[in-house]
Amino acid sequence: MAKPRGTDGSLLASLPWTLAALAFALAPHVQFLPFWITGAFFVCASWRYTIERRRRALPSTWIRAILAMLCFLGVLVTYSSISGVGPGSALLAIMAALKLLETRRRRDQFVLLFISVFLVMSSLLREQYLWSLPYLLLAVLLTMTAWLRMSAAESETMRQNFRTSTRLVLYAVPLALAMWIFFPRLASPFWAVPIDTGTASSGISDTMSPGDISSLSLSSAVAFRVNFDNTIPAPRDQYWRGLVLQHFNGRTWTGDELTIASQPEDQIVFGGAPVAYMVTLEPTRQQWVFALDMPYAWSLARTNIGPQQQLWRMQPIDQRVAYDVISYTEYQVDLEMSRSIRDRYLAIPARSNPRTVRLAQQMRAVAGSNADFVEAVLMKFHEEEYFYTLRPPPLGSNSVDRFLFDTKRGFCEHYASAFAVMMRAAGIPSRIVLGYQGGEMNPMGDYLIVRQADAHAWTEIWLEGVGWTRVDPTAAVAPERIDAGISGAMLDGTAAAWGLLPPSALLHRLSLTWDAMNAKWNDWVLGYGPENQDKFMQWLGMDDPDWRKMMLTLVSLVVALVAVISLLLFLRNRPPPRDRAAVLYQRFIHKTGVTISIGETPAAYATRVRSRFSADSIDTITSAYLDARYGPVDPAALQRLKIAVSALSHPHQQ
Amino acid sequence: MSSIQWPFPRIGIAAALTAAARRRVRRWARKRQGIDASVTSLQSRRIYILPTGVGLVFALMTFAMLLGSMNYNNNLSFVLTFLLGGLGFVSMHQCQRNLVGLELSFAGIEPIFAGQTAKFRVAIINHSRSARRGIMLYTDAEVSEVLDLRPGESKVFVLAVPTTRRGWIRLDRFGICTLFPFELFRSWTWLHMELQGLVYPHAMDDAPRPPPTQSAQGHRQHDARGEEDFAGLRKFHDGDSPRHVAWKAYARSGQLFSKQFAGADTSSQWFDFDAIDANDAEIRLSILTRWIIDTDRTREDYGLRLSGQAFTPAHGAAHRRRCLEALALYGLDDNRG
Repeated sequence: MAKPRGTDGSLLASLPWTLAALAFALAPHVQFLPFWITGAFFVCASWRYTIERRRRALPSTWIRAILAMLCFLGVLVTYSSISGVGPGSALLAIMAALKLLETRRRRDQFVLLFISVFLVMSSLLREQYLWSLPYLLLAVLLTMTAWLRMSAAESETMRQNFRTSTRLVLYAVPLALAMWIFFPRLASPFWAVPIDTGTASSGISDTMSPGDISSLSLSSAVAFRVNFDNTIPAPRDQYWRGLVLQHFNGRTWTGDELTIASQPEDQIVFGGAPVAYMVTLEPTRQQWVFALDMPYAWSLARTNIGPQQQLWRMQPIDQRVAYDVISYTEYQVDLEMSRSIRDRYLAIPARSNPRTVRLAQQMRAVAGSNADFVEAVLMKFHEEEYFYTLRPPPLGSNSVDRFLFDTKRGFCEHYASAFAVMMRAAGIPSRIVLGYQGGEMNPMGDYLIVRQADAHAWTEIWLEGVGWTRVDPTAAVAPERIDAGISGAMLDGTAAAWGLLPPSALLHRLSLTWDAMNAKWNDWVLGYGPENQDKFMQWLGMDDPDWRKMMLTLVSLVVALVAVISLLLFLRNRPPPRDRAAVLYQRFIHKTGVTISIGETPAAYATRVRSRFSADSIDTITSAYLDARYGPVDPAALQRLKIAVSALSHPHQQ
Repeated sequence: MSSIQWPFPRIGIAAALTAAARRRVRRWARKRQGIDASVTSLQSRRIYILPTGVGLVFALMTFAMLLGSMNYNNNLSFVLTFLLGGLGFVSMHQCQRNLVGLELSFAGIEPIFAGQTAKFRVAIINHSRSARRGIMLYTDAEVSEVLDLRPGESKVFVLAVPTTRRGWIRLDRFGICTLFPFELFRSWTWLHMELQGLVYPHAMDDAPRPPPTQSAQGHRQHDARGEEDFAGLRKFHDGDSPRHVAWKAYARSGQLFSKQFAGADTSSQWFDFDAIDANDAEIRLSILTRWIIDTDRTREDYGLRLSGQAFTPAHGAAHRRRCLEALALYGLDDNRG
């Protein structure tokens, strides 16, 4: 133990600020961190502060080494990994706590402040809300004040430190803004590191097993927002296509591996008027890209249309993305279908759901055509005692049988699944489409909010000469679910309990306003990517923007701003203007040509030079100077001095 | 040089190269700046600035954050990164401006004895309307206190320079530096003022006893009172012995006069450089220094005879200074430059 461990209270002035900066940086992480890490941080922080206050010794190297090992193991056990934002921020918090215990000198606190900056950064990687910007500004201000407090030479008041750091941060803001606007944004990252953003969520899963979960967890979290260019399709046409499931094992529907359609242009015939819109999709960590049935063109990079007309991106969507889409609500898909493919869409496992199969075959036999059969099945859902509920009873094996004949309660997944199985049993190819349906128009921002609660499942059947046709059996049971959105569909009166019905119209308006602000924030701040930057540069008048032009602008702007800041600092540090009387007297001395010696009074100087000039003018100048410089404020004296000095002529002219 | 270490460790060749580079840079600065007047205002063109170790780490951190922000296309961490980058620029300028316009002047030095520390005093005046913080003076070996200067304030900084030899001590060069605001940058400049102070010889601790008191003529005094030849009268002053009062004159004029006698001083001593029993001149000077200090403390008169110079017996601060100066400069070229 070579290093001294005693403390002398020299950190008392700066330690509280450092601790405050660290705690502020840690605050947004607390809800994601295991409790023991936050606890460890606060224990270490208060322990360290007590040590400093009581002038005790720091814990020995052994204790610190053991603590470090324990904490590191704790993080490994909790996260089973040390990369990613979660374990990263946990490690940072642990490092801060342990570093506190060996911080003895003033300058050791630098490390703590670096850690606090990294903590702020990792909280920004995790989530970016509207309040994240003021949070980050405050965090920087606090950290910089602590920094100043630490390196302040003399005991300045905290107020002064705070004012100085505020001033410096304010100088830095325009610089940061210029760099932020003009720094070229990359279209794609250098390396794809998955980032466990706390906000990523989706109401859509890759498979569908009606009856597994007995209630649908509904959240009012935003799935995506849509800005329509001009026409807004009717709610019953707002089917946001996600993924397609076509394999059924008697209980669970699954999709194909994601592949790219070989000749997408041959599959779809578009008709009617195009609908153009922009989707801002919240991160899902899935690859599905949602678009209105049926997408024609889209602007999202590395995004393909699959053989079942589902859009998907090569990388999972772990950040908010915005893309333009053109869709046609009238279309024909796969007018021709080969025998082998048709068989795939007809497959149902043998001996599963026997009652349903039998019923379907009977009904098909009764109906004259496929179209009549579809109509009959929908009528069955509509007229018999089938209910739409978000909390259906669980179903056992042969879930479709159980649902159709026994429980008769379910939500979209149950109806879609039952309908698709019945179609297949009757020889009509069918498949399930998962996506969202409807949404809420926000009059504040004139855009459509689609929430996770709007997640929906519907069916597509293939009819000869028509191709794939969308049939939504839920519409037969609860047409208001389709026409009015999810809030209208809750017949069991639990809507308010689900938080979907705001208690009052005013609150609802407020929440819509907040959402509109968030949408703008997402568009212009968080979504300021390559496309938005390009648009903004063109709006600024830069033709054909590229990274070179932007960097050039950035550098020149930064240089100009730094020059302005430098000038401001120069003006602050400039000595006060010299006394006018002193300047005039200096001119007088220059005119006489006799240097004044150090310590010589004006009167003594006057006697020395009187002989060379007219004694009168020398006396006038001397007395006017003394009045102007040392007497009460008197502009007249200054004026007298000025006139007298100007009137004085050089000696050789006399 | 200064106590603020350049972040790289100094080892082997690297150390030699750094030292060579440092000498070169200083020579260049010396040539560029010239000799400074005893009152010098710092202009911005002579103030140098480099990042500190902390500043380099800060730059590295900001760069890492920039890469991270680019990778995740995270606009808020771009904001954080650019804000810190902007703060870097701002603190660079603030650091340099923190020195510009300060006025430095030599505020003197107290003479000291060899082996003691010479304290060069430099006054710094802040004429501006903003405070200057964390100002420090330094020499190759020592640093001054770190002080703040409020608007219009002036403070005296002390530069301690250890001494070993008597004679003139010069401080050819010293530096002024600041790390304000965030210790990310260090701005500094060198000043080449003509600062010098006098170092008296070291006062020998176990010096032999001073020579016994002698009369001016060099023979032993036969009269302890030292009253020899009557030289005249002068006005009575407080403290004159009543035995010397000219009572006859008092009776005549009614005023008190003291009798004055020539060629005698009861307590005067002569310290003679040549009479000291030591081979080395420095040792003799050192012994003389000790005698002068000790004797002056008793307020007895003493004279100094140095080859070629003689200081008639007296005592008091001025006499002591004259004698010690003569000792300090003995045998040296008394050239104040």
